[in-house]
Amino acid sequence: MIRVAGKERPWREGMTVADVLKELGGESAACPVVRVNDHYVSRPHFDQASIPDNARIFLIPMIAGG
Amino acid sequence: MSGYELKLKKTFPYQRPAIEKGYANQTLHLNLSDLAVATKPVTPQMKDIFIGGKGFDLWLLWNAVKPTTRWDDPENAVCIASGPLGGTPAYPGSGKSIAATISPLTGAVIDSNVGGYFGPYLKFSGFDALEIQGKTDQDIVVFVDGIDQKVEIFASTGLPEDAYRLSEVLTEHFAQGKLRNISVVSTGPGAKHTFFGCLNFSWYDPKRKRARYKQAGRGGVGTVFADKGIRALVARWDAAISLDTNQPAEKERLKTVAKQHAREIVELDPKQNEMATIGTTHIVTIMDDHDLLPTHNFRFGQHREAPNLGQAVFRRLFDPGYDGCWMGCTVACSHGVRDFVPLSGPYAGRKVFVDGPEYETIAGCGSNLGIFDPHTVIELNFYCDAYGLDTISVGTATAFAMECYELGLITAQQTGGLELYFGNRAAALEIVHQMARGEGFGKRIGQGVRRMKAVFARDFGADPKIMADIGMEAKGLEFSEYVTKESLAQQGGYGLALKGPQHDEAWLIFLDMVHNFMPTLAQKAEALHWFPMFRTWFSLCGLCKLPWNDVIPEDNQGTPEPAKVMKHVGWYAEYFSAVTGRESGPDDLIRMSETVYNFQRVFNLRMGFGRREHDALPYRAVGPVTELEYESRAERYDKQLTEIYQVDINGKSTAEKVALMRRLREAQYETLKDAVYKRRGWTPDGIPTLATVKRLGIDLPEVVDLLKANGVTA
Repeated sequence: MIRVAGKERPWREGMTVADVLKELGGESAACPVVRVNDHYVSRPHFDQASIPDNARIFLIPMIAGG
Repeated sequence: MSGYELKLKKTFPYQRPAIEKGYANQTLHLNLSDLAVATKPVTPQMKDIFIGGKGFDLWLLWNAVKPTTRWDDPENAVCIASGPLGGTPAYPGSGKSIAATISPLTGAVIDSNVGGYFGPYLKFSGFDALEIQGKTDQDIVVFVDGIDQKVEIFASTGLPEDAYRLSEVLTEHFAQGKLRNISVVSTGPGAKHTFFGCLNFSWYDPKRKRARYKQAGRGGVGTVFADKGIRALVARWDAAISLDTNQPAEKERLKTVAKQHAREIVELDPKQNEMATIGTTHIVTIMDDHDLLPTHNFRFGQHREAPNLGQAVFRRLFDPGYDGCWMGCTVACSHGVRDFVPLSGPYAGRKVFVDGPEYETIAGCGSNLGIFDPHTVIELNFYCDAYGLDTISVGTATAFAMECYELGLITAQQTGGLELYFGNRAAALEIVHQMARGEGFGKRIGQGVRRMKAVFARDFGADPKIMADIGMEAKGLEFSEYVTKESLAQQGGYGLALKGPQHDEAWLIFLDMVHNFMPTLAQKAEALHWFPMFRTWFSLCGLCKLPWNDVIPEDNQGTPEPAKVMKHVGWYAEYFSAVTGRESGPDDLIRMSETVYNFQRVFNLRMGFGRREHDALPYRAVGPVTELEYESRAERYDKQLTEIYQVDINGKSTAEKVALMRRLREAQYETLKDAVYKRRGWTPDGIPTLATVKRLGIDLPEVVDLLKANGVTA
């Protein structure tokens, strides 16, 4: 099981950040940066970023900066 | 500490006025040439037009200087102000001071927004702003004692040279046992010998039992401060500050909105950027991932070693604990490194506390120099602060010198034997130490990129054309740390910024490139109107902009304009209304900023700048200068030439494609300027029209005369 934006979701072996965002759909799919536990992952790496079981995932809006 | 002496030269007793709706309603004026001290009233017109903070600074400076005033003339003033909302303890990010002066780098106005307690303590002591003119050959310490209602001017001898130790000594000296009651503004020896000296603003951290620092970094305000003969400014006020201290018009209304915002940050920051844990370090790898992190003098935006400087490292290095640079701020992003032991310089082998680093320092003194070792970045951060040097200008100027060295434009003979190749950590540190000592090649780099270009061409025969392209300055100010080649909006964010290429006016790079929030030219122009205007507003009020958009509401993405975070804009309007009693909505905040923003543009014009030609960018900010840069991203650039610009590139050499790309991109930037000037109500030459200044209520006789003298007739 993983927690994405505070909600539990099932985990599966080999799951990537891209998979999770695709499943979430909607506005989440456009999220540019995600934090997996303490590790920040940006969109160019979503396909390669695997998610461990029990991970906490936060969708980072990246409106911020400067 | 022994061995120093503070000799009282002047005492100015005063009656502290009651604060009314966020204002003290007077300003404090010092002239160091004759040690004159005076107060001046804040008029209703000043509050109406200029609001406070940077607005007050600009108005005081406007009246202090002449069009011919240079940075080191006695009439140039260092102005420091809080703002009507400054000093509110419950609302996050409400402790900022805004410093302004005529910059030694740009010759025009520079302003810097900085944390620490000085601005609020100054205001509660009875002064909305402080203006210092004149010069002295003595080492002056000014003490504004709001508790005992007196201003004292001391001639000092034997005080520590570096800001790190100086603030500590003066905090202890003036505190009368209550260390939190003191805030010190100081600079260091680097400010005397370079044109990009910064100011350190302190607050006392009771948990760590030490003075902490934030920097008014940009544009050499510390250099002016040092040139005047000021060692330090000290403010003393009772740290037991509450919501009542500002005497807000509607306390309950203020309490409600302050709680709302503070609570939201506490709840959401851990789920978003973790500012309270890792500060701005989280964006290092994010910028790298998107090819936006400057490496090797902005040549590239990515490097395989960038993760060495990322948040994962600083998460371990930062000393855990509360790091707010103002009381009760829940963003609390001013992190530091405890027990750091420098390897070089006067503190070599001794444990120090380092305030920082933040993203800009990491990128400027790290990746942009080809340095990917966090300990070197921390050491550079420490010495820049201690010596009173702006880490951004140090980084960008040193990066330029390094590229010149690698290109063979300058040699080891000219650098005094320093091998200035990228990644040379020892050389980067030595440059900073030389800046502090005012010697060697470090002193040359300390003159800034613009002067280096002229000197390298004149004295070393270096090619001025290539230096114009790779010297990352505009208006004379060194770029802050983002690669803008692929974001036209951010090119405008830098090139059209009033003070020079600093990102605080318009940080559009991610919104433009990654979110694609502004695909059309008209949308970019609109963004280059709205964002600078709203961001300016924080500096009018004594606020930090981070709570606005570094932690955002969970439902923000579904709003019509998510980049503006309008829910928070609404809260800020509520905040302003509750404190000042001047009922305001979001559009009113924009109007306040627009007024001051246009006044500053007119001020630039008065100082000989502020026209279209002054909004020029070095080509490296716009596109690939060299074949190496082009070829490193050949697929991207070829695609753009073919698909966006509809150019047939078959058979073209890289050099030809570089030239083509340059023509197209430079034309695009000029088109952007046209669109932004029009949106801002400026002439095609970038000057506010008479109609614009009239609409904004800044059609003062001297403003109108100036515009007419510059050919503006409507």
